[in-house]
Amino acid sequence: MNDTNHNGQTVRSALIATAVAAILLAGCAAAPVKPDGAMEARAKLTQLQSDPNLASRAAAAIKDADLAVRAAEQPEPNKELAAHRVYLADRKVDTAKALAEARFAEDQRVALTADRDKSRLDARTREADAAKGQAATARAEGAEQRAAADQARTDATAAQLAAANSEQQAAELQRQIDALHAKPTDRGLVLTLGDVLFTTGKADLKSGATGNLNKLATFLDKYPDRNVAIQGYTDSVGSEDYNQALSERRAESVKSYLTAQGIGATRLTASGKGRSDPVADNDSASGRQQNRRVEVVISNPPAALR
Amino acid sequence: MKRTSPANHSSRAPIALVCSGLLMLGACASTPPAPSANLQAAQQAIAAAERGEAARYAPGELGEAHAKLTLADTAVTEKKMVLAEHFADQSRAEAELASAKASALKANAVNDEMKRSNSTLVDEMKRGSGDKQ
Repeated sequence: MNDTNHNGQTVRSALIATAVAAILLAGCAAAPVKPDGAMEARAKLTQLQSDPNLASRAAAAIKDADLAVRAAEQPEPNKELAAHRVYLADRKVDTAKALAEARFAEDQRVALTADRDKSRLDARTREADAAKGQAATARAEGAEQRAAADQARTDATAAQLAAANSEQQAAELQRQIDALHAKPTDRGLVLTLGDVLFTTGKADLKSGATGNLNKLATFLDKYPDRNVAIQGYTDSVGSEDYNQALSERRAESVKSYLTAQGIGATRLTASGKGRSDPVADNDSASGRQQNRRVEVVISNPPAALR
Repeated sequence: MKRTSPANHSSRAPIALVCSGLLMLGACASTPPAPSANLQAAQQAIAAAERGEAARYAPGELGEAHAKLTLADTAVTEKKMVLAEHFADQSRAEAELASAKASALKANAVNDEMKRSNSTLVDEMKRGSGDKQ
């Protein structure tokens, strides 16, 4: 009885020991076996943590994922709970990765914005340079055109000046001619010197009566392109030969006076017309006085005078 | 007998304790409160994901989050509160993943657009300068 009792006790303790051992064994066997999927989650997390672009970003989410992976790695006999933890770990690792990628993209955007700004700046700089170049060209062209315009203006001014000058000159000439009391005729400007210049029957010019001739000399001096024909006339008193000779002498007298005043002899021609071409009736004394004359015909009257 | 009696008594007390503990645990397991905080968190995470255009950028994850939330609600009606809590947490994790993926995709889309426009700008500039020089 005692034996059997003892035997029974040994059997019982052996059973207990076996059970304990079994439990311990089971515990030991379960300990190294991680739930399915936990390793994959850990691998993904490790990859994320070793990515230089992503590891430093979304640090909080990565830490959260790490905790979830550690929980998933715990041995768990409850299969549903183990799968749940793995599920959470997997999603949290993915979430951390996506958040890090989003942050990385946002950080890249700073560089992209800088790139874009630089590109835009470059583009604007080039545009500005091109515009500057065009402006310079335009300015150069403008300067040329301005110069041309200035030249044209100068020319115009010169032309105006010349015109004004010639007008002035023409006016001056007209004044001179007016001063000479010359008459425009078909032959040219005709200046009639009355016989008051000469003593009757003589060809010598009266002294003190040369005022009009001096004006003529000044005129001819001023207008060297004008030539002069000096024609002497007489009245009908006396013989034709006498009158012809007298008219010639008087014309010559005027010519020599003008020559003495510095007018070139080549510009002066003297001729006697005698009693021909009377300008008045020889019957009266006043008519004969008008016929006794020297006419100075100034050739090439300027166009302005016509 | 006098020795065995207290020994017997003392060995019975822990058994009673274990039994009552098991009973209490069983009671707890059979009627735990619904995981309303977890369910609410999942709903909020889904709402946030939808605001972040997850329906467009991460429709798979968003759909999964909705499905898990439905499973959690079903578990609550079946009084499987632990399961309900797990589904709620999974729904939330899925919804947060949907949000994160949407953010990453949107950010990358913006970057791609910027890169494209930058390269277009550079191309135009090269062409422009080529014409002018």
